[in-house]
Amino acid sequence: MDHLLPLIAAGDAQAFGRYMALAEDRVRASLQSFAAVVDVEAVVQEAFLRIWLVAARIEVDGRGDSLVRFTIRVARNYAIDLVRRQNRLQSTELETLTRLADAAAETPEPPDPALRRTLEKCHKRLDGQPAAALQARLDSGGSEPDTTLATRLGMRINTFLQNIGRARRLLAACLEKAGVALPKGVL
Amino acid sequence: MDTPELIEQVVSAFRERTPDGFIQAAPAWHDLEPEDRVRAAHAARQQRLIEAALDPEGLSTTAKAVLARLRR
Repeated sequence: MDHLLPLIAAGDAQAFGRYMALAEDRVRASLQSFAAVVDVEAVVQEAFLRIWLVAARIEVDGRGDSLVRFTIRVARNYAIDLVRRQNRLQSTELETLTRLADAAAETPEPPDPALRRTLEKCHKRLDGQPAAALQARLDSGGSEPDTTLATRLGMRINTFLQNIGRARRLLAACLEKAGVALPKGVL
Repeated sequence: MDTPELIEQVVSAFRERTPDGFIQAAPAWHDLEPEDRVRAAHAARQQRLIEAALDPEGLSTTAKAVLARLRR
């Protein structure tokens, strides 16, 4: 992924998108041990935004994966900062979370190569309200709240949220039936 | 709202920003017990892998939300 760094540093948003597509799951997985004490989604987004802002100052150290290791460090430090601000954990507990995060960051597991192909088939079989709710989330690209999406579909917010969960469970069951595994720790 | 619906709200990639530009935790996240926050994080990871696999450019809604907010 380090080959994308010069492009990102030069302000190439498309290259940054390619980088996020490759790195997001690894960054997210590295934060799982913090999930009870920080909103992982907010930390992941904040970390990537910070990387975009400082990309020109990141140096490749020759050990490989400099960019993703730097991103994981930024995400981790931000999570620790949020936990310290809440002042709800003992320093020993925070150290434990950090050690667990280190272990998660060192053991990335790539998605099954058959995931995309199988998921497309499973997605085509999805219909009705679960399909509509999932599609609304995909189309919005994280730019609109669920209340807006639900209103657009003529659903109550609770119905919309139940349909989102149902869609994910149906897709996961379809993948499982096809023998395609999501990375360890996801299910 | 019940716990499963709160979890689904947290799974969304939509996040508000503070006036000084920081991305805020989802309001529903604060209403969850620690074990349910962990469940939400696992569900979100599963959801993002699904989204990325369904997107022609491999982008999840998290990546799209970040791209929409890029600034220099």
